[in-house]
Amino acid sequence: MASVALRGVRKDFGRTQVIKGVDLEIADREFVVFVGPSGCGKSTLLRLIAGLEDASAGEIEIGGRVVNTMAPKDRNIAMVFQNYALYPHMTVARNMGFGLRAARLPAAEIERRVRAAADMLGLADLLDRRPGALSGGQRQRVAMGRAIVRDPQVFLFDEPLSNLDAQLRTQVRTEIKKLHQQVRTTAIYVTHDQVEAMTLADRIVLLRDGRVEQVGTPTALFERPVNRFVAGFIGSPAMNFIPARLEGAEIVLPGMRLPCPALAHRGGDGAVTLGIRPEDIWAGEDSLRAPVACRFEAVAGVVEPMGSEALVMTQVGGVDVQVRLIGRAHPRAGERLRLAMDPAQIHVFDGASGVSLR
Amino acid sequence: MFFAVVRFWPAVDAMMLSVSRWNLVGPRQFVGLANYERMAGDPVFWQVLGNTFEYLLLGLPVSLVLAFVIAFYLDRVEYGQGLLRALYFLPHLTTATAMAWVWRWFYQPPPVGLFNAWLGALGFGAQPFLRSTTQALPAVLVAAIWAALGFQVVIFMAGLKAIPRSYYEAAAIDGAGFWQILREITLPLLAPSVVFLLITTSIGLLRIFDLVYNITAGGEGGPLNATKPLVLSIYQSAFARMDMGYASAQTVVLFVILLALSLLQMRLLRGRDEGGRG
Repeated sequence: MASVALRGVRKDFGRTQVIKGVDLEIADREFVVFVGPSGCGKSTLLRLIAGLEDASAGEIEIGGRVVNTMAPKDRNIAMVFQNYALYPHMTVARNMGFGLRAARLPAAEIERRVRAAADMLGLADLLDRRPGALSGGQRQRVAMGRAIVRDPQVFLFDEPLSNLDAQLRTQVRTEIKKLHQQVRTTAIYVTHDQVEAMTLADRIVLLRDGRVEQVGTPTALFERPVNRFVAGFIGSPAMNFIPARLEGAEIVLPGMRLPCPALAHRGGDGAVTLGIRPEDIWAGEDSLRAPVACRFEAVAGVVEPMGSEALVMTQVGGVDVQVRLIGRAHPRAGERLRLAMDPAQIHVFDGASGVSLR
Repeated sequence: MFFAVVRFWPAVDAMMLSVSRWNLVGPRQFVGLANYERMAGDPVFWQVLGNTFEYLLLGLPVSLVLAFVIAFYLDRVEYGQGLLRALYFLPHLTTATAMAWVWRWFYQPPPVGLFNAWLGALGFGAQPFLRSTTQALPAVLVAAIWAALGFQVVIFMAGLKAIPRSYYEAAAIDGAGFWQILREITLPLLAPSVVFLLITTSIGLLRIFDLVYNITAGGEGGPLNATKPLVLSIYQSAFARMDMGYASAQTVVLFVILLALSLLQMRLLRGRDEGGRG
């Protein structure tokens, strides 16, 4: 097991800069998730750590050793690929033992380790099958088994759940988390799915356009996003953004003036964006808990009932605002709603740069 | 209907002819197995059959290994791969007759022939090549292998490109060496290409004709029948000696060999695909 450190890591493909300088410390035993929209460089960053790509600049350290010039096999890592990379002509057992045969371990030791991993993953009955005869979820577990038998210092996962259907994805996600709690090997996991990131990670690294936007625990990213991009990416349904103005100690929206003493006397032209998550808007009786200044009325547009909750689209000052209402009763379209923003959960971002102001 | 007329009728007719005597214009005369008896006692037939298998048994492994090695390294070339592949493919587009005459010139005695000129320049003695009973067949075979290479390389490269990159990446992370990757990943996954080329190349080599006809003096498959393959012998029986019956009997032998070989190869490779490795 080992820590991983990236220092000033850059990667160019020709003239295209894909990774534009990443600094990151990953502690031993930590489960870190790289997340971001497609093209943000998260997979490239993982491949740099694996040694499948060479860094254009910067240092990559695994377990205290700089590994930039080391071949992938010398980095003591194991990787689970998006397409699993299982060899179709080999049985599950031979697939799992491939790396051990490469390391020239004795046959008995290979068999023992493959069996142990197969037992842990519930693959014991499938060892003689070929990948073609397995379901998607089973293949995924074989791919993890192949990584586990090598007992590496670091696990790398490259979007391992993206080929599974939604239900299976949730199930395997839980299995991965359980597995990590058992083996406690440092893990780096790439996904574009923020729900996966939130549920799996000890810490999330949110990337955009080759740069780290924010690093922190899922809770930290959810509650204290450093900018509008992070605020919009983390959380589902996404945070609502409403253009506003800062006037003295008040945030001015169409028809509302929210007191905000913390931002008083801040300079600039006063253009800000107010952010509020759909679940932080209270409705009906609940709205009376909020200070009067935070209350407002809106007409329900599209209503999406989901059983235990409903998503209601409304408008505030001409901007679409989604409200998440907990409970089985839900309003009808066209109904006038009494709403209020939870004052503790209001985010304010600089209008131009998007940087969080509180 | 089309197949019946164009494919099966000539084949059936050839089998009928093989038990007849016919000079192409006169009436056919049933002679039973006389043509086959004559074949069994004909030393030239046995030599020709031996030559045919020599082409196959030497040519098949050499050409496939060579084509694989070229394709394997060409696949790793990053720049100008398309051009190189096209150059290798070029012989496939050339007529066998033209190639044969160029190779015939390569093999001429000094000072005309290219190879002997090189040997001379390097200080070696001149070689007889096509004029020697022992060197002639390998010399013809080299030309045949060269001619077939382009097609084989292109097929192998297509097979190599179909192997997902992540297989090699996973192997690199697992620390597999060159030979383990070749033995456990590349070759097994290339099996469909190998089967295809084994069959087409075998059939091509067993049916070798135009190259030999054009590269040897007078189209005789000489010297002393040293390079003569079965198809050339059939051609000579049929159209030089107008002995259709004997020609047809030899054709039937060739057909049986081709059929047996194809079935054998298909069975071997199917067996391996289903059970063998794992």
